[in-house]
Amino acid sequence: MSINVGFIGLGIMGKPMALNLIKSGYPLWVYGRRVESMAPLTAAGAHACASPEEAARTADITFFMVSDTQDVEQVILGPKGVLSGAQPGAIVVDMSTISPVATRSLAARLMESGIEMLDAPVSGGETGAVNGALSLMVGGKPEVFIRVKPLFEQMGKKIVHVGANGAGQATKACNQIVASLTIEGVAEAFTFARRNGVDPGRVREALLGGFANSRILEVHGQRMLDHDFRPGFKVRLHQKDLRIVMETAHQMGIALPGSALVAQHLNALIGSGEGELDSSALVQVIERLNEGK
Amino acid sequence: MLPKVGFIGLGVMGKPMAMNLIKNGYSLRVYGRRKEAMAPLVEAGAVACGSAEEAARGCDVIFTMVTTTRDVQEVVLGERGVIAGARPGAIVVDMGTISPAATRAIAARLAEAGIEALDAPVSGGGIGAISGTLSIMVGGKPEIFERVNPLFSCMGKNIVHIGPNGAGQVAKACNQMVMLIALQGLAEAFAFARKSGLDSARVYEALSGGAAQSRILEVLGKRMVERNYDPGIEARLHYKDIQIVLDEAHTLGMALPGTALVTQMFNALIGRGGGNQDSSQLVEVIEAMSKNLL
Repeated sequence: MSINVGFIGLGIMGKPMALNLIKSGYPLWVYGRRVESMAPLTAAGAHACASPEEAARTADITFFMVSDTQDVEQVILGPKGVLSGAQPGAIVVDMSTISPVATRSLAARLMESGIEMLDAPVSGGETGAVNGALSLMVGGKPEVFIRVKPLFEQMGKKIVHVGANGAGQATKACNQIVASLTIEGVAEAFTFARRNGVDPGRVREALLGGFANSRILEVHGQRMLDHDFRPGFKVRLHQKDLRIVMETAHQMGIALPGSALVAQHLNALIGSGEGELDSSALVQVIERLNEGK
Repeated sequence: MLPKVGFIGLGVMGKPMAMNLIKNGYSLRVYGRRKEAMAPLVEAGAVACGSAEEAARGCDVIFTMVTTTRDVQEVVLGERGVIAGARPGAIVVDMGTISPAATRAIAARLAEAGIEALDAPVSGGGIGAISGTLSIMVGGKPEIFERVNPLFSCMGKNIVHIGPNGAGQVAKACNQMVMLIALQGLAEAFAFARKSGLDSARVYEALSGGAAQSRILEVLGKRMVERNYDPGIEARLHYKDIQIVLDEAHTLGMALPGTALVTQMFNALIGRGGGNQDSSQLVEVIEAMSKNLL
């Protein structure tokens, strides 16, 4: 039994993800805002569509991978959007990173028309997308998750169903909160170490063995020591993800003092033109704060 | 001959501001989302309209006093909005507190239609609006500011032309930053005083008149001492305003750590249901953080 698949959003992440689905034998109907973005997919056998509505019309499952909350809303609810084309019983899977509040609202709206939705934001970057090795955090009904799982497995390695609609986005936000504060912590610790005349490299070694150990101390810590800020995960994208967290917190009346501070430090890096650097570049903000340059 | 005036948004601020214009002899076309809001103005001589478009028709100056950035975009540029009714050469004056970036975009859009714009956010609350003593921070062309200044004088006392379009909103953002970070300081100080076993009324007395003196200490500090949180200004408005500042910092690429922290305190305040009470409640958020569990 063949499943027809729609794929909307063919950028840095969407393109390799869609290609992985084609490689696994799924017939794909694709739409990308820029016509050129569809070319590598039609070359691999996908059908090019003129709108999200068209891509969703034949599809049993339609994926999106677009930039931001407004883009997802536009793709679903906008003119010639998915809602106009998808059939009752179809499934829509948003793999972008957007607001959990907007996600819950979109899922409810789609449900009114008999369309199921999953939120399945990813981590692992372009490399993860190309290698089919992304981590996925999925929100939505268990029975819908099970139906989409074989397709997720073509795009990712670690796939966790975390809860109901919106839970995937909330979990992704939690990932950003923990990662951001940990990077901040390492940046402050190394700055403190240097000012105390202690080699931060030795500090990192000592900390790797204990409670302060983390993947971030390991990876970002090393980048901070070397001042080697080749991404990795770019400041610009990190700022965007954390902005979504802070807007959601504001909307829901939740205080996140630490995350709010790290968001300010990321703003500073954008302002100094360093948006294309790895997040570990945050250490420079703390250094500058303390050296008055 | 006095300019013909349109006034859109007749809430806690808009109504008394419009009244002050009428009292000074201006003839007003008014529109408010709720029909009842228009009644007192009609009694005073204004013409009630069915939409922003209608209120703008034939006017030389059109004021808007609505709550959010989105509200202003809708009222000015939306269907049956000001832009549909205003004639080329008219001046649109937005007196709400909204995003500086959105303000510049709205001004540009209006300019395409030959309509001038000023941003003129205010400070001074409902009391200032009624007594005509608002502070008004204005952005836009100098010659347009000059033409509207006589009308501003009916509504406010401290009227400053800050710069081009958007500058008024930036100045208001600065006002909110200074005021609300000072409020944070007060909240922490009074919580600290209480935790140290002191009478906060004595501390209030000691701080008044010294280097820590401020209008915020005077007015909101008093409410903290008395634990009387009747607005004043509803916390939800400061909560809205301070997020505007953070959104702008995000776009500009600059770090505002204090503002970011105070925004979180306001998030918590809203989360615990304090939106309709005075912002001096912030002291209870600080006290809650360090609650002594017995």
